[in-house]
Amino acid sequence: MQAKEFKVKWGMVVDLDKCTGCGACSVACKAENNLPPEVDASNKLRTNDWMNIYELSNEKPFPDHEVAYLPRPCMQCGKPSCSTVCPVVATLKDEEGGIVSQIYPRCIGCRYCMAACPYHARYFNWFDPIWPEGMEKVLTPYTSTRPRGVVEKCTFCHHRFMAAKEQARMNGEDPTELAEDAYIPACAEVCPTGAIKFGDLNNPEHEVSKLAASENAFRLLVKLGTDPQVYYYSKREWVRKLGDNYLKNAKGGEHV
Amino acid sequence: MGIDRRSFISLVAGGVAGSLFTPVIWKSLDDVSIWTQNWPWIPRLQYGEEAKVPALCKLGADAYGIQVKTVAGRPVAAEGDADHPLSQGGICPLGAASVHMLYSPSRVKNPKLKDGSSFKDISWEEAEDLLAGKIKEAGAGVAMISGDETGSVTDVLAGLVGKAGSDKTFLMPGESAPAAAALAMIGGDGQVGYDIENASYVLLLGADALGSWGNVARNGKALGASREKGVKFVYVGPAQNGTSAVCDSWVPCAPGTEAVLALGLAAVISAGGRDRASWAGYADFAKFVQSAYAPEKVSEITGVSVDVIKGLAQELVRAGRPLVLTAAGAGQGLGAFEMAASMSLNLLLERVNTVGGVRILPWSPKVVESAPEKKALLAADLAGYLTSVAEGAVEAPALLMVHAANPAYAMPNLAKAQAAIDKAGFVVSFSPFMDETAAMADLIMPDCYAFERLDDAYSPYGSGQPNYTVAGAIIKPVYDTKPAGDVILSVAAKAGLELGFETFEDVVKAKAEALGADFDALVEGGPWLGEEFPVQELALWATPLKEIPVTAADGKSLALAVAFQLKVGSAKVAIPPFNTNAIRFNEMLGKDMYVLMNGATAKNLGVKKDDAVKLSAASGECKARVRIFEGVMNDTVVAPLGFGHTAWDDFSRGKGDNVFKLLAAEAEGETGLSRFATARVTVSKA
Repeated sequence: MQAKEFKVKWGMVVDLDKCTGCGACSVACKAENNLPPEVDASNKLRTNDWMNIYELSNEKPFPDHEVAYLPRPCMQCGKPSCSTVCPVVATLKDEEGGIVSQIYPRCIGCRYCMAACPYHARYFNWFDPIWPEGMEKVLTPYTSTRPRGVVEKCTFCHHRFMAAKEQARMNGEDPTELAEDAYIPACAEVCPTGAIKFGDLNNPEHEVSKLAASENAFRLLVKLGTDPQVYYYSKREWVRKLGDNYLKNAKGGEHV
Repeated sequence: MGIDRRSFISLVAGGVAGSLFTPVIWKSLDDVSIWTQNWPWIPRLQYGEEAKVPALCKLGADAYGIQVKTVAGRPVAAEGDADHPLSQGGICPLGAASVHMLYSPSRVKNPKLKDGSSFKDISWEEAEDLLAGKIKEAGAGVAMISGDETGSVTDVLAGLVGKAGSDKTFLMPGESAPAAAALAMIGGDGQVGYDIENASYVLLLGADALGSWGNVARNGKALGASREKGVKFVYVGPAQNGTSAVCDSWVPCAPGTEAVLALGLAAVISAGGRDRASWAGYADFAKFVQSAYAPEKVSEITGVSVDVIKGLAQELVRAGRPLVLTAAGAGQGLGAFEMAASMSLNLLLERVNTVGGVRILPWSPKVVESAPEKKALLAADLAGYLTSVAEGAVEAPALLMVHAANPAYAMPNLAKAQAAIDKAGFVVSFSPFMDETAAMADLIMPDCYAFERLDDAYSPYGSGQPNYTVAGAIIKPVYDTKPAGDVILSVAAKAGLELGFETFEDVVKAKAEALGADFDALVEGGPWLGEEFPVQELALWATPLKEIPVTAADGKSLALAVAFQLKVGSAKVAIPPFNTNAIRFNEMLGKDMYVLMNGATAKNLGVKKDDAVKLSAASGECKARVRIFEGVMNDTVVAPLGFGHTAWDDFSRGKGDNVFKLLAAEAEGETGLSRFATARVTVSKA
């Protein structure tokens, strides 16, 4: 399939050598995007959490053990598996910026996209979104609340992209050439260690494009050919190997 | 004319094909998908003018400035304040959830009086009259507990208690008290701060600086910036955590023995041949550490190899601007003597009173005359007091007032703390939430939530520079609550104990004036920053030197290492509704929390992954499940603090168990302060 190319390609680089797994990005994401609070979030098969944080281990026994934390938003793949299987065209990658959209009123909840997404970045609303009494007053005006039965996911806080473009137009600037800090998703903005960087991967002036080109940068399951726009960075080799589902017992050593 | 098979099929096929060309079906399908998502119980968004308002978050380990986004005046989300020195644009997981706590199901919506086993609603006037009467009745039998050591409400409350003739003013256990006592041991007087941004090598002795210790957002920013500057961070502690994951190295060290390692490092450094003979107290100190803390002995106690001890000492000596931070795993509970051990290491490295080192900050100015000095407030030991009350050694207070604290949940010797609260004649809670202490109280006078009132914070513990933040109300109280500062002043006046201020705003204005800050500028969001650091003559070490007591391994029990993650709350706040998702599947199974131990330890105990176990200590028991995690030392079990609430709401109640039950406090000889950093537990199958 021919992948669509964009002049601007928004991307994220998460420095796993700075991420402490504190959860601030995850909470800020829920707040910004009006995800409802969930009483029992221990059953991860039914939770709705656009930004999920995984714990990685080098699987060595004490004292050689090492741990790292990996926040996982939607990868906004260059060649998305999800949109190709959607029967009602509820998800698509066609807007300048290269963000994979999700149109909730068009979604019929068939969950083909969830089955297709190798990153588990899509979430089905098993329950109606219910806020404790009064708490609906803190809903942000940015993203509509999604009903039971539809699939949702991280959008790189797409509403902030729209707001930034609008602001640029109002300032008489070119909305296709936003400054590096004009548009930043909530998770990247609140990160207390600055582990999450955001910008245009196609713009050599943006930090993300430099970080993504680093030899320490990697993408998740890149061998599947999805061409993710989320990069990770770690100087630790074992962390980089895990990114592509490295199997230490696989025959032939290097896994391709 | 009959219809044969062929013409029937043509008719059906033609019908189907024809229907595909009409938009009716497609339009109907589209409408159906919209109608079926358009239920009245799903909330609709409300729009309005957007703004960002400076605010203060005190839910976690420290107090720091945040920005609250508002829509038509409604707070909707919080983010870090790039202009605040303790936030620098970052936010902790509690700060990120702070706005939603405005409408938390556990908010207390109006004053309540205990009525048998439940509460009945009363008016504010009745509540204030009742409390004024109780204060007059109790006289010197009044006591208070505050969990806010940075704010002026504590000064007002302590002033009221002082005016009533009582000295029973207590802060919740924290790092400030042992740090101040430790500084006094080396001849200093002031608040201890750490200039982490300007250090070139940071040794974290048990300090979970990026998870729960000190100014978490600021520490995170310092670490983030350090990666580009080549600053080395070393974490020393019994288990891997978020902090160790991003530090340059992790040095496993038996829980509660980090201070022993500090003295071991001091022994190696002092034996290094540098002439420090002219330093006050140096000769005695060097002799003591070199005889009592030889690397071999330190290695045996801490589990850190001799080579690593010597290597760390060398790194510290070679680093241009090293900084040593010491803390107990949970951000509290370390003894002052242990803190002084770490401080002496900084002194030995000439890192006190200097850029990138330990800074001595001036105490917050005192504006409420009858309140005790901050130093005296920190020196009063709450755990010891409550234990004495429970045991009958000290008379129970006739009136106990609790502000911004939850001692019925977050105290060592928990059963005794609860018994002491139970024994108090009359308990008043100013909490905005139905926490465990409020549930035990006789009278609840609900405080306004952070964004509904004026509040202030002077240099939270750890701050590298004196700072003062004031935040005004963002929204009118959403329930029938009143700011505790104003209520206390009003009640004091009714009880005939004038504190010299009519409103809480006057108190904050007086404090701003005493600091030389502009109140109006402060409220608009510009924090005041002090540039003056008291210069003091320090010595190694004024207090008689003696060995740090260490609980020896007995082969039957495991060392307990507690872990605090702000995403599941703090000593003040239970799991916020928006934070349940941040709990990973390997941290909680259903309603059971996981405790962590490595494979070798589990094998010794005969337990496997997911086994239900019971952790027992002399002071209490906890239930949990086992998670095998190789980032834990041998014969050590890591248990998370922050679970096991019995009050609050569905998002936090009944999840996991309260590990504070396992922590026993013991009085430290030198200072009388309680230390509870070390505990041993037996782990058995439940």
